[in-house]
Parts: sequence; C-alpha cells; structure tokens
Amino acid sequence: MKKLSLLAACALLGILAMPVQAEQQNANIAADIVQVKRSVLELNKDLYELEEDLLSPATTRAAFYFSLTYGEFFEPLSIEVSGAGFEAVRHIYTERQVAALRMGAVQPLANINLGPGKHNLRAIIRGVDQLGQNRELVVEQQVEKTDKPLLLEFVVSDVAEQQSAAAQLKFW
Amino acid sequence: MGHFIRLLFLSLCVISAQAEELSAADTLAPGQLVDDFSMPSAIGGWGQRLAEQRGKPVMLIWLDRCNQCQEELVRYQLLAESYALDQLVAWFIWAPHKNDVPPKMRLPVLLNDQYWSQSWGFNPRPAIMLINKDGVLDHLILGELSGHYDETEKTLAQWMTEQQLQASAENGQ
Repeated sequence: MKKLSLLAACALLGILAMPVQAEQQNANIAADIVQVKRSVLELNKDLYELEEDLLSPATTRAAFYFSLTYGEFFEPLSIEVSGAGFEAVRHIYTERQVAALRMGAVQPLANINLGPGKHNLRAIIRGVDQLGQNRELVVEQQVEKTDKPLLLEFVVSDVAEQQSAAAQLKFW
Repeated sequence: MGHFIRLLFLSLCVISAQAEELSAADTLAPGQLVDDFSMPSAIGGWGQRLAEQRGKPVMLIWLDRCNQCQEELVRYQLLAESYALDQLVAWFIWAPHKNDVPPKMRLPVLLNDQYWSQSWGFNPRPAIMLINKDGVLDHLILGELSGHYDETEKTLAQWMTEQQLQASAENGQ
C-alpha cells in the first residue's frame, strides 16, 4: 500500500514537471533563435564590410562631410567640391537640411575613391549672409592621401568679431 | 523597284512605331513613383527636395521656354495658393535657355539644370504633375499652360477632394 502511494506520488510529480520541461524547451529554442539571429546580423555586417573593402579599399577610400557651427552669419544654399581624379561633388541644401545642420548635424556629403598622393581640393560653398546677400565661401587646400582612409570635413563657422563666417577643412 | 520602295516604306513605318513606343515608355506615367530630386532656386532662396514633401500633395509645373513669363503663370500661382491651407505644395520648374530670365513668383521657381546631378529633367514640356502624399504620380497634364488651365483647375479640385477624403479616412482609422 505504501509502495502504491509512493508510485502515485512519483507519477503526480512527473505530470507536474511536464509543463516545466516544456517551458524549459521553449526557453532553449528561444535562446537558439536569438543566437541564430545574432549570427545572421554578424554575417551580414561581415559581408557588408567585405563588399565595402572590395568596392572601396582603404587605400583609395575618401569621404567628405559638412557641418555648420551656429550659422548666424551664413546659410548655405549649395556646396561644390572639385579636384583632379574624382567627379565633382555637388549638393543643394533645403531649409530643413540647414535647420538640421544648425542643430549640430554633420552631413555625410560623399564617399569617393581617391588615389594615393597629393590632391588639390577646391570647395565652393554658396549661400546668403545675415543681410540676405549672396556670398561664396571658398576652401582651397592640398591634401595627401595615404594608404589609410581620408576623412575630410568642411566646417563653416561664424567669426563673431568680423560679423562674418569662414570655411575651413578639418581632417578626421 | 516598286517592291523595294514598298518594303522601305513599311520598314520606316515599323521603325517609327517602335520609336514612339520607346518614347512613350520612357515618359513618366500616372501610377508610377516619382523619383526624388533636389533643385536650387532660380530666383534666390532655398533649394527644394521632393522627398521632403512626402505626406503632402505636390503640384509640379514644368515650364517650357520661359523668359519672364510670370503673366502666364499668375493664374496657376493663384490656383495653387488657394489650396495652401490644404497643404498643397506647388513649384514651378524652369529650365534656362540662352539669356532667359526666370519668372518672379511668390511660389518657388526651381532651376532645372543638368549641372546639378541631384535633379532630373522631364519632357515633353510644359507639363503639370499632381503627386500624391505617397510620392506617386496621380495626374499628368501635358500641353500649353494657357490652353489647359480649365482642365488643371477641374482636375486639381477633384484630386484635392480625394486627397482630403483619403487623409480624413486614414486619420479616422
């Protein structure tokens, strides 16, 4: 009789443990799914990097960025970056984009391929000053491309003393 | 000789028919998504980008050769402004030719020039495009602006009503 009740207790425990086992299995499967998703994302990232390396290797990779500090004395309407060895980069600014730049946004202007060596860059930033008059800010500078990526930022900043704005090239 | 001429004539007919099909296929048609563009202002001020207008109805008026043709465009400007409260965005698109001077309008007049790689041109002109809030071309009116004002007014009124109904239905959901 004692054995029988012991057996019944064991069976009851087994039945009670079944949902716990199922939950455990579900948790394991969920963890596996998360792991697989993570692997897929990592693989995707690796493939993206590989594609980028093939299309634009570090030896020729160059990128232009644009930013505006304050923008009280100058509002850009367009920018044009030219130089030997790459197609001129041109961009037209809208009011919304300039509002974003004023709030601190740094605009990725273009990714280009540039051969190693020295290059003369010329950027013309057309816009209007605080009086609504047309103005052009020009940056002319020689840059050297090494075997590492070249990241350049055209920065327009206010010069409060002169009630004006100036553009310069910043190397990242 | 007669056969040869007939054959030549038939060949020319076939070639011209094919060419027409190609030009028709190349033209943007209602129902198609309109590609994004950015164009600078032809009369000073901000440039405009089509993608920034998603969510609003847009009317593009592509001008043919125009040298200070504001008088011709005044009616269209007033028409567009009458829908400003309904969020209609309207732009004139002007292409430079020789020493032509762009029209001075209250609405933006955009400079359509191949120099700016972010823009594209459209032919035939003049043309009026009505682009819905999803960026799809709903109506394309081709032909001289002076002769198509009534059609444009009627189409725009009907289209704007549809746009409003659609927007209120979406807001209700």
